[in-house]
Amino acid sequence: MNARILWLVLGSIGVVLGALAVCHVGPGVAFAALLKGSLGTPNGITKSLENTTPLLLAGIAVFLALRAGLFNIGAEGQFLVGALACTAVALKFPGVVGIVLGTVAAIAAGAAWAWPAGAIKAYRGGHEVITTIMLNSVATLLTGYMVGSGPMRAGGGDTTTASLTDATRLPAVIHSGAFSLNIALPLAVAMTAALGWWLRKTVSGYELRAVGANPTAALYAGVDPRKTAVRAMLASGAVAGFAGAVQVLAYEGRFYAGFSPGYGFDALGVALLAGESALALIPAALLFGVLAKGALNLQFVHVPKGITTVILALLILIVAAVRAKGVKKVA
Amino acid sequence: MGGYASERSGVVNIGLEGLMLTAACTAAVAAPHFGPGGALAIALLVTVVISVLHWMATQIYRIDHVISGMVLNLIAAGATNFVASLFNASSSGVPHFPVVLYEGLAIVLPFLTWAYVRFTRGGLRLVATGADPDKARLAGIVPERVRLAALVVAGLFTGLAGAMLVAYTDGFTNDMTAGRGYIALAALVVGGWRPLPTLAACLAFGILTALRVQYAGVPVLGVMPPSEFWAALPYLATVIALAGLLGRGRTPAGLGKP
Repeated sequence: MNARILWLVLGSIGVVLGALAVCHVGPGVAFAALLKGSLGTPNGITKSLENTTPLLLAGIAVFLALRAGLFNIGAEGQFLVGALACTAVALKFPGVVGIVLGTVAAIAAGAAWAWPAGAIKAYRGGHEVITTIMLNSVATLLTGYMVGSGPMRAGGGDTTTASLTDATRLPAVIHSGAFSLNIALPLAVAMTAALGWWLRKTVSGYELRAVGANPTAALYAGVDPRKTAVRAMLASGAVAGFAGAVQVLAYEGRFYAGFSPGYGFDALGVALLAGESALALIPAALLFGVLAKGALNLQFVHVPKGITTVILALLILIVAAVRAKGVKKVA
Repeated sequence: MGGYASERSGVVNIGLEGLMLTAACTAAVAAPHFGPGGALAIALLVTVVISVLHWMATQIYRIDHVISGMVLNLIAAGATNFVASLFNASSSGVPHFPVVLYEGLAIVLPFLTWAYVRFTRGGLRLVATGADPDKARLAGIVPERVRLAALVVAGLFTGLAGAMLVAYTDGFTNDMTAGRGYIALAALVVGGWRPLPTLAACLAFGILTALRVQYAGVPVLGVMPPSEFWAALPYLATVIALAGLLGRGRTPAGLGKP
């Protein structure tokens, strides 16, 4: 292994150990707390897997855009508007009808939210990182308004919509004791496999990757990079919106202020870790999901949970450095 | 201006948000112990270190600039949460310099930057590196060094921004930068990567943010817009600005290239 990468890894470990030392906590204790919180109990495992689902789905969304060379930081906002749209529709149409229509609404909302970023990048050169981040903030404010002082709020003290009936929810496939697994997660895994297949075995998937790798070469091969870019963003937003719908239908049953603890942002990390392989999204999402649940336990040993963010960010950095090693400087 | 220094030398700096946050947190934590002057110095130092990390990531490890920037923002968010919890950074009563001082600096710096780039050899080197790093190398410039200096300066200026935030709100809260770093980047784009138009753009965004305070509770065209509307204005304006024709033709050609 390259000496520079080694330094990076050692440095990262040093930073984490140093941070723990400042808390007067040994790494073993912290690690044990993390594990116990996330995988130590059936409830913990259930929650960890629950966390993983939106991360995986949103991760698919970001991954899709990434393969087209686009950074969709807006997954968070697309997730939120998708979830809100799904709730709005599903409240009006109970049962399976609601599930289907709600999902469609969410997909449309997510795609619509991603469209401006795609169009601006393709036709005006405006960097999609900034547009998507801005749209995130607008989405948070808009959805917050809807359940705050706006029309979607169910009467009462909380900023939330009414809850969906049990018939309008996605069922669990395994339910034994404290452990339960919703159909959403296997669904997400299947979608990930489908995505990987689509990217590698279909013409449109190939076009997407071509534009991501080298837009000029793609142009000469007869692919329109701008249309592909817009389509990629639309698809990415659609999947993120879908993730929002699943979150509502499978786990939450309603929409409320503060619905997402940053799933869309973490999804970026998931996609970056996954790199070129769609299937790698699964372990990446699991890692994030498990750490998120475990981090809550850290406060019991007096370690602020921000440290897991730092650990994951450093991991992404190391992985990116290892991948970038292959890039040779000309002259 | 921090973004200007970095991007003019060809380094995309999505990390401005993280730099500001780091500076704010450091200043807030250090101020009770070291007073406003010491706190500012420490905050600037720490911010420059982070900025140099971005330089290392993009120049030495050759990581994609956007990824490096976003990762640094993540690290900043996690680390500031960590440090603030640990040291009980208060959300009020933190000693600081008067806000007016920072505001004055904010007006003066763009002019100084413009003058530096226009009239000194260093400024020329900066623009040359950003325009075409390979040709610059042929002319005897070492792009890595120019970029290092540029990122140090970026860290300093953005650090000032972070410290100012603390001065303005009298303390530190998690994620207090609220996207300002990204808006700054948008201002840079709208301003066509030139200091003085960027200043104008920043003023425009600032006015939009201020409108919220002024107009909360005041009907517009007979309809009472919710407070979230005013809060969303700066972000919406950024998107619209980027959709406009401004700034596209003036991207430094070597932006993002090794």
